[in-house]
Amino acid sequence: MADEEGWLGRFVDNLPEQGWFKFLSNHFVVPYWVWREPKAKLPGGPRMAVQPGENLQRMMNLVMPLKDRSPIGRAKATLALGQSVDTLYAGLDNVGTIHFARFVIIENNLCMMSVYDGDFDSYVRDFIVSIGNVFDAVLVHVEGGDAVIPTKQNVEKFVDWIHDHDLFQMPDFATDLFDLQDEAQNLAANRAPHDLSSLSRALVLQLHANPNFALGSGFRSYAGYSAAQIRSTFGMGW
Amino acid sequence: MSEDLRLDNVQGNILRGYRSNLCHVRHLILEVTERSSARRFLGAAVSGGTAEVPRITCATGWGTLKPETCFNIGITFAGMRALGTPEAMLATFPTEYVEGMAKRALKLGDFGDSAPAYWSAPFDRTDRVHLIATAYAQQPGQLDQIKAEVAKAFHVIDFRDGRTRNDANVLGPAFRGDGSPNNRSFFGHADGISQPRFKIDGYPDINSSQPTSPLGTVLLGHDTPLEGIRFRVPMSEELGKDGSFNAFRILAQDCWAFENYLTKAADALLELERVKGPQVLPAGGEKAIRPGLSRVGALREVVAAQMCGRWRNGTPVDTSPFHPLSTDDLTSATLNDFTYSGETTCPAGAHIRRVNPRDGKIVQRAANHTRRLVRRSMPYGPDFDAANPDDAPRGLLGNFIGASIGAQFEAVMCDWLNLGLHDPSITRRNDPLIGANTPETSVFDLRLIDGTPYRLRGFPRFVTTKGGAYTFLPSLRAIRFLAELPN
Repeated sequence: MADEEGWLGRFVDNLPEQGWFKFLSNHFVVPYWVWREPKAKLPGGPRMAVQPGENLQRMMNLVMPLKDRSPIGRAKATLALGQSVDTLYAGLDNVGTIHFARFVIIENNLCMMSVYDGDFDSYVRDFIVSIGNVFDAVLVHVEGGDAVIPTKQNVEKFVDWIHDHDLFQMPDFATDLFDLQDEAQNLAANRAPHDLSSLSRALVLQLHANPNFALGSGFRSYAGYSAAQIRSTFGMGW
Repeated sequence: MSEDLRLDNVQGNILRGYRSNLCHVRHLILEVTERSSARRFLGAAVSGGTAEVPRITCATGWGTLKPETCFNIGITFAGMRALGTPEAMLATFPTEYVEGMAKRALKLGDFGDSAPAYWSAPFDRTDRVHLIATAYAQQPGQLDQIKAEVAKAFHVIDFRDGRTRNDANVLGPAFRGDGSPNNRSFFGHADGISQPRFKIDGYPDINSSQPTSPLGTVLLGHDTPLEGIRFRVPMSEELGKDGSFNAFRILAQDCWAFENYLTKAADALLELERVKGPQVLPAGGEKAIRPGLSRVGALREVVAAQMCGRWRNGTPVDTSPFHPLSTDDLTSATLNDFTYSGETTCPAGAHIRRVNPRDGKIVQRAANHTRRLVRRSMPYGPDFDAANPDDAPRGLLGNFIGASIGAQFEAVMCDWLNLGLHDPSITRRNDPLIGANTPETSVFDLRLIDGTPYRLRGFPRFVTTKGGAYTFLPSLRAIRFLAELPN
């Protein structure tokens, strides 16, 4: 079989590693395809699944660029959150569908990562009712945050804003990317069947539209359970 | 009552059901083909109607003079655009309404046979569904007349008729002890009982012990049940105020599958009784359910009651766990006068406890009473006779009205009805009556006499979505605005 792969096959396989080809791709091929077949930025966060267990323990990866990227600016963002820790715990308790929430600063971004159960919009709405003021205090420090505070008076806007800043999650079955791209363009799924070999191009174009990206919906080592199921199982009350 | 509520600015079907005297309904599914004639029609309809245009019914009290017909409209996002609403205004509508019901299918459990790809015409072409106008009448003939009038201004793509029912599957008379109509779904259950309770001058206050809901539950621009939160008012504060949103759904019911499953479950319970004695119904309990009923027949009724949370005549299982109350004892108050705050005999997975957990303990602690929906629904299709079953299309034409589709309808459908997120004992299980079930995975825990659960399995999906649309229910002022848009 190895004989069948002639010099041409080896040459083509090797192309992506060639400097001149990389240059050509980045400066001409990708821009050409971006022009010819632009992809819409896909909304962030997990998508609803048919299997109920898949709608539990879902991941949010909110990436919010800081307004002031100096160490002092980052310190301000850190303090804004640090002053609200008690409120935050109270909020987690009230909302009831959160497993954990983490805040991290990566380079110039304040990131909120959380694992929650069920419908994202309801989760955010319940969160705003409980601790909208914590969000407000943090959002002051991120780009575009002013447009959505006070969050209690901008619920719809804030939910949309999060969908926009939450990382797009690459489907766990890679070819589902075609369907999402079709849907974003209001096309019937796979009406003109997609050639499997165009998947890598679709991925590159999507990464152009969504520079930050979650690889899959997160990997769990056990089936999904709700926070309340876990609490009740271990006798912590829910 | 909110001081700034003007009843003559609110469409009547939002705050009041009409079927106590108008028992026929027709939903007209309309496309705007000629913008100017559509606008002319709306202008006439909102200004009291003419000989050829029905009048939009507002929420002003009727007094003793009840109308013979009523007429209300809902507009889809495509419809708002077709009527020429300025883009800047369109941009202020909430995302779920802009996207429309079909795009939100997974959230609503509309997959498999319920997926939008299988919805029947005209809901297979949602871009053409612009308005859903609803006519209510005493006589079916009046509906034809209204349809003919509407057809002069719009393309009537299709229509759906509903009616109150009085067929063989209905247990009990057409009216309850207090004279209120005894509306039944095709599974035989009394329907449309629990509604949010508003304090409005001139409106009867029926639900005795349930807390009142703020007007913002159902009307835009008023305080909502979510503390400190107001939903965004679309168009502009002035025009959007007193409007609302509606989830219109065509929900096909598989009566035969439901009745069959009751028998299957009752047989299993009877088998269990042979071994362990009465488990779910005390010995001799069948007489209290209905004289002359067999033991299996009685066990069927217990299963039907626990799945719903109400006996078929409407009696709450919480109030009366082993038998329904007599029709004379049923009033709007007794039907609704119960809570889940203490120990309750209503299973956590029962339909009515899922969709309205009342004051019961739920995971989302701040969410009790915040996701209430006004329901205006009527059955469609021919009577069903369990003795001579057929598979004619029948079910419910549902209208689920609230000021925020996302915070109310979708939140209930996604987290409570199907995922059971609000109580860990039912999480990952779907609503037994209307959930997105498959026999391979469906589970419902009956509550036995001693309070322990008994697990029922293997029931199919009894209710399939056949179509639907999210509509905006504009205030009368907003309708006037739309009618007067410049060309």
